[in-house]
Amino acid sequence: MSNFEERLLSALKEEITTRTAKDDMTTVTPIRRGSRRRVAGLSAAVAGVAAAATTVTLLTGITESPAYAVTKGSDGAVSVRINEFNDPEGLESELAAAGVDAVVDYLPFGQTCKGPRGAHGSTQGQFAVSIGSEGDGISFKIEKGQVPAGETLVLAVTKAENGADKPPLATSLEIVKGAVAPCEAISMPIPPAGGDGKTDNAPGVQSRIDGEDRAPSLNSVTE
Amino acid sequence: MRLNEDPAAFEAFYRRHVDAVTRFVVRRVSDPHLAADLTADIFLAVLDSAHTYVPGRGSEIAWLYGVARNVVSAQHRKAARESRAAGRVAGRRLMDDDDLVRMEEKIDAERRMRSALEAMAGLPEGERAVLELVAIDQLTVTEAAAALGIRQVTARVRLHRARRALEDVASPSAVYVEGQA
Repeated sequence: MSNFEERLLSALKEEITTRTAKDDMTTVTPIRRGSRRRVAGLSAAVAGVAAAATTVTLLTGITESPAYAVTKGSDGAVSVRINEFNDPEGLESELAAAGVDAVVDYLPFGQTCKGPRGAHGSTQGQFAVSIGSEGDGISFKIEKGQVPAGETLVLAVTKAENGADKPPLATSLEIVKGAVAPCEAISMPIPPAGGDGKTDNAPGVQSRIDGEDRAPSLNSVTE
Repeated sequence: MRLNEDPAAFEAFYRRHVDAVTRFVVRRVSDPHLAADLTADIFLAVLDSAHTYVPGRGSEIAWLYGVARNVVSAQHRKAARESRAAGRVAGRRLMDDDDLVRMEEKIDAERRMRSALEAMAGLPEGERAVLELVAIDQLTVTEAAAALGIRQVTARVRLHRARRALEDVASPSAVYVEGQA
């Protein structure tokens, strides 16, 4: 590779490091509409599993249920995967068991919680949230110490129009220090559909617009 | 795939594809500084979009070219350019004189492809997009469909129409670079 390519690689790797350490901890990720169509089959499959597996399995510290899974890694990081957006209290108690105080709200399509929900948390760090990548909801990881005592992980998910097991319209994650205001539902701005595939890269905001010709990505993107 | 979290995984991905991405860019722009910027922008977009890559659903290169295509078309929309967040990587600042020469050589090597692209300028956007990826970037029709997020059959129909429309206006040798399906 040329010098340019090596330098670019270093700059990009630095960018990865910077991003994972960014202090902006709120990620709003409206889902593009097209992905719903694509994942419909998989969502159906997930729903089937939910119906069949009604017991909670416990194995080596991993608690699993069809709607969500909270896993604590050996490094103290807590991984969360949500397949179906119901039973927020159950997820809260799973997170509490893993040492993370959390407030979880699932809102109907078109609604979001009025912000701010409280004071910003003290820790630096950004969540990596991946949404609906395989038709199975969202997942994110909380690094050890990212939500210290006295602070609360606040998750608000705006459900898809067509079901609690579909990739959500929007997800908001933040860490609040001290008291957390209860979710006051307000209507949320829905990203325009169609158009010419406008894409912008505002930090922390990823939007994707449906259209037959939209390529997978440019976040501009979210699945 | 956690390209945007794992520098090692990203490095492997970058080394696999940086050459293809650069060539993708210089088939479309002839300014070496802009080419360097766009190459950087594409890999930044890869970081932004890493979570949209689903292994096994289309090839890696199809996904990457989908990202690349969005970046290059966004470049033509000035607004998108201006809204770039501060502190992003500016590719041109990473080039020294040798790099500049090398980039110019690459640009030169793709001259024929750029004229072929110009010949396609009059086609409807949807048809041009498929023809571009197949004839210019050598994707298969399946990969082009994946890159564009359209169905294979749609891609085939558009490719056919695009080729027929071009029969009168372009030299076949330039545009009919064989795209294998």
